[in-house]
Amino acid sequence: MRAPSPTPLLEARAITVRFGGLEAVGGLDMAIGRNAIHGLIGPNGAGKTTVLNVLTGFIRPSEGELVFDGEAIGGLGVNRFARRGLARTFQNIRLFGAMTVLESVLVGAHQRFSANALSLVFGRRAAREAERAMIVRAYELLDFVGLGAEVADRVATTLSYGHQRRVEIARALISAPKLLLLDEPLAGMNAVEKSEIADLVRQVRAQGIAVLLIEHDMQIVRRLCDHLTVLDYGRRLADGPPDEVLADPAVQAAYLGRAR
Amino acid sequence: MDYFGQLLANGLVLGAIYALTAVAFTLVYGVVRLVNFAFGELFMLGAFLTASLMLPEVRLIGVAVPMPGFSLPVAAAGAIALTALLGVLVDRIAYRPLRNAPRLAPLITSIAVSVVLQSLAQTIWGAEELRFPEFHLATLPPVVLFDSIYLSVMDLVVMATALAAMLGLSAFIARSSLGRAMRASAEDQMAATLVGIPVNRVVAAAFAIGSGFAALAGLLYAQTYGFAHSGMGFLPGLKALTAAVLGGIGSIPGAALGGLILGLVEALGAGYLPNGTAWKDAISFVLLVGLLYLRPQGLLGKPELNSAGRGSLLGGASDFGAVWLRAAFATFDGWLARAAAGGPRAALALLAFALLLGALVPSDYWLRILTMVVVYGMLASGLNVIVGFAGLLDLGFVAFWAVGSYLTSILFVLLLKDQFGVAPADIWWLLYLNLPLAGLVAAGFAVILGTPTLRLRGDYLAIMTLGFGEIVRVVAINWMDLTNGPMGIRGIPAPNLFGIALGSPRAQFFFALALAVLVVFAIARLVRSYVGRAWVAIREDEEAAEAMGVPTARYKLYAYAASGFVGGFVGVFYAHSQQYISPLNFSLFENILLLMLVVLGGLGTFVGPFVGALIWIVFLQLALDLPFVQAYPETRFALLGVVLVVLMVFRPQGLAASARVALTMSGARSKEAA
Ligand SMILES: Nc1ncnc2c1ncn2[C@@H]1O[C@H](COP(=O)(O)OP(=O)(O)OP(=O)(O)O)[C@@H](O)[C@H]1O
Ligand SMILES: [Mg+2]
Repeated sequence: MRAPSPTPLLEARAITVRFGGLEAVGGLDMAIGRNAIHGLIGPNGAGKTTVLNVLTGFIRPSEGELVFDGEAIGGLGVNRFARRGLARTFQNIRLFGAMTVLESVLVGAHQRFSANALSLVFGRRAAREAERAMIVRAYELLDFVGLGAEVADRVATTLSYGHQRRVEIARALISAPKLLLLDEPLAGMNAVEKSEIADLVRQVRAQGIAVLLIEHDMQIVRRLCDHLTVLDYGRRLADGPPDEVLADPAVQAAYLGRAR
Repeated sequence: MDYFGQLLANGLVLGAIYALTAVAFTLVYGVVRLVNFAFGELFMLGAFLTASLMLPEVRLIGVAVPMPGFSLPVAAAGAIALTALLGVLVDRIAYRPLRNAPRLAPLITSIAVSVVLQSLAQTIWGAEELRFPEFHLATLPPVVLFDSIYLSVMDLVVMATALAAMLGLSAFIARSSLGRAMRASAEDQMAATLVGIPVNRVVAAAFAIGSGFAALAGLLYAQTYGFAHSGMGFLPGLKALTAAVLGGIGSIPGAALGGLILGLVEALGAGYLPNGTAWKDAISFVLLVGLLYLRPQGLLGKPELNSAGRGSLLGGASDFGAVWLRAAFATFDGWLARAAAGGPRAALALLAFALLLGALVPSDYWLRILTMVVVYGMLASGLNVIVGFAGLLDLGFVAFWAVGSYLTSILFVLLLKDQFGVAPADIWWLLYLNLPLAGLVAAGFAVILGTPTLRLRGDYLAIMTLGFGEIVRVVAINWMDLTNGPMGIRGIPAPNLFGIALGSPRAQFFFALALAVLVVFAIARLVRSYVGRAWVAIREDEEAAEAMGVPTARYKLYAYAASGFVGGFVGVFYAHSQQYISPLNFSLFENILLLMLVVLGGLGTFVGPFVGALIWIVFLQLALDLPFVQAYPETRFALLGVVLVVLMVFRPQGLAASARVALTMSGARSKEAA
C-alpha cells in the first residue's frame, strides 16, 4: 500500500446538505488522497450519492467548502467541475439515448476539442485530426474497460446492464480526469463481472487517477480500497484504513442495525 | 379619471373572457401536463355553435340546414355541452394514446388538432363571419356608472357569467369527489394512480370542463362583437395561454388572476400608450416573456413544472395501433435509412437526381413548386438544428426567417431604391453579401432571444419562444417606417448574377438547390463534430451532458445561433424569389408548419426536413385536383392535421427516424484503432 501524499487531491470541509427539512449530509469532512482508491460506504439512504453529487457540483451544499488540487471549487457550474478533472458515473446509468457507444464516449471528450465553427464547417486539418485522435482514444478506452470494438456502433442504451456501466466508465475516463467518482459500479453484477470491474479500478489508479468508489459489497471494498469513509444518516461514522474501519463496532452496528 | 374608469371596465370584460379560457388551459395542464393548443379552436366553436343554434337556418358546407332558433341561454348551454363532448373526443383520439409518449408528441398533436378544427370550421361555416341574431339583452341601453363609464348589458352579463362559472368550478373542485380526484391528480399523478383514482376519467372530466369553459368564453366574446369567425380563436387562445402561464399554469386561482391582469394591462396599454391599440397584442407577449424570465412558475404556480419533462424529446415508439401500419412505416423508414447510410455517395446521388429534375421538368408551375420544396426543406433544416438536434422546442423560428427577408428587402427596396434611387440591377452583388450578413444578424438575434430562455425547459420554453415570434410579427406589422407594415414590401428584385437576371423558375430552382447544398453541408459538418454531439447529449440528458464537461448553456446558444443563421440566410433568398413579403408570411402558423415538416420527416435527421417538405407541398398541389378540395381548399389543412395526428399516434418518431445522423465525422470512423 502506498503512503498517502501530504496534500489531498480533494478536500471536503464541513459539508452540510439539506433538502427542505431533511439533513441528508451533516458537517462531513473528507479528504481523498492523490492516487487513492477511496471507498465511501454506508447503509441505504446514508447520503453517499448526495456526497458524490456535492463533489461533482450537482448539488450546492448548504454549508461547507471544497478544495480540489489546491483550489476552492465551491461555486462553479457542473461542467467546470468536469473540466477541472472530476469525472463521474451515475447510480442509475445515464447514457445518452439514440447515440452509439462511440458517440457517447466521445461526448466525454468534449473538453478536449477546441476547433471553432468555421474550421469544423470547412473541415480544416487540425479539426479532422483532433477528431480522429479522439476516436482512436475512444477505441482504446473501450478496449480498456473490456468492451470489444464491435460494440462501438451499437446504440448505447441497448447494451446489457454490465456493458452500459463499462461504457459510462469509458465516457468518464476519456476526459483524462484526475479523480474518477463511481456510484455503485458493481451493483447488479455477478461475481466474475465484479472482479473484472475491481481489476479495472486498480488499473485506473495505476494510471495515476484517483478513484472514489461507492459500494455495498464489504468483501470487495476491503480488498480494493486503501481508505474508507463510512456514512450513516449523513454523518461521518468512521474514516481510515479499511481493516480498522470495518472492525469498528459502531460501523458494524450501523450495518447490522438496518437491513441493507 | 373617466377615461381610466372606462378602460378599467373594458379591461375587466376582456379579463373575464381570458380568465375563463385560461382556466381551460390550466385545468388540463394540471391533470395531464399538456398544453392543449386546441382550446383556442374550441373557443371559436363555442361561438359558432351558439350562433348556429340561435338562427332559424344556417348554411353548412353550402347547404341550408334548418336550425332550432333557440334563445341565447339555451343555445349557449347546447353549444357548451357539444363543445365539451368534442373536447372529450379529442382527448380520447389524439391525446390518450400518447400519455407515455415522448413529450413532443402530444404537443404536436394538440397543434395538429387545432389546425384540423380551424379548417373544418372554415369548411363547414365558410370563410365569412356568421352573424348572431338580435338578442334582446344586447339591444338594451348601456348602464352608466359614475355618469361616465358605459357598460353594455352584455358586458355585465359577461362578467357575471364568468364570475358564476369560476365560483361554480371552485365549488365543484372543493366538494365533489370527481373534483377532489382532479385536484389530487394535479398534485401528483403517480400518487393518484397508486391510490386508485381512475386517471382516465379524471382527465376526460378535465377536458370536458375545460372545453366547456373555452366554449363559454368564446360565445361571450363573439356575442360582444356580434359575429363568429373561424380565425377568431387564435389570438384569444394564445392570450389565454399567456394568462394561464402568468398566473402559474396548473393553478385555477392563478388562471383567474392572470386573465384579469392580462385583460386590464391590455385595455390600459391600448388606451394610454402612443398608438396603443396597434401594439396591444405585443403588450401581452412582452409581459409573458418578462414574467417567464423573472419567475418561470408564474404568480401562483409551482416551480417544479418547469422541469425537464418526460425524458427525451424523440425517444420511444408508439405501443399503439395496427400492426400493418407500423410495418409499413418501418419499411419506408428502413428504405430512407439505407439511403442515408450510403454517406456522401447517397447524398451525391440525391443531388444528381434533383439536378436532373430541375433540368427536365418542363412546366414552370412544377418548377416553382419544387423550389418551394427546397426552400421549406432548408428552413425546416434550420429549425431542425434547434429542435431536432439540441432538443429545444422553438416556436419562434420564423422570426429569424423574417429578419433575413426583411433585412435584404429593406436594404434593396426601401433604402437603396426608394431613398437613394439605386437600381437593384446595378447592385446585384449585394444579394450575395446579404446572405451571410442576414445569417449573422439573425444569429445574433437568435442569441439575444435565446439567452432568457436558457433557464426554461419543455413546454415553458415553447411558450416563451412563441411569445418572441409573435412580438416580432407584431413589430413587423406596426413599425411602419421600417417594414412598411401590413402592406409589405413589393418589388424585391429577383436574384441576379453578373447582370444576368435569374428570374426564371428554372434558374430559381437551381439557385435554391445550390443554397440547400451549402446549408445541408454546413449543418452536417457541425452536427458531425463535437458540437453536434454536445447538442444531442443536451437533448438526451442535459444534466449528464453537463457532467461530461459540456457547458450546456453555451451550446444551447450555439444551437440558437446556427438555427438563426440558417433562418436568416434562407430568408434572404425567400424574399428575392417571392419578390414580395409581408408580415403574413411569418405567422405562427408558418412556424408550426415547419415544425410539422420536421416531425413528419424525422427530427434529428438530415433528409427528414426535405422529406417532410416534399410530402407536404406535393400533397398540397395534388390535393388541389380533387373536386372537393377545389371547392373547399381549407380541407387540405385539415388533412395535414389528420395525417399528423395519425403519424404521432402510430409513429411518434417520424417517417425517417432511422436515418439518424452519425455524430462522428464521416470517414473518420477509423477501423485502424480497432
Ligand atoms: N433531491 C432530493 N430531494 C430530497 N431528498 C433527497 C434528494 N436526494 C436524496 N434525498 C434524500 O437524502 C437521503 C440520502 O440519499 P442518498 O441518495 O444520498 O443516499 P445513498 O446513501 O446514496 O443511498 P443508496 O445506497 O440507496 O444509494 C435520503 O433520505 C434521500 O431520500
Ligand atoms: Mg446512492
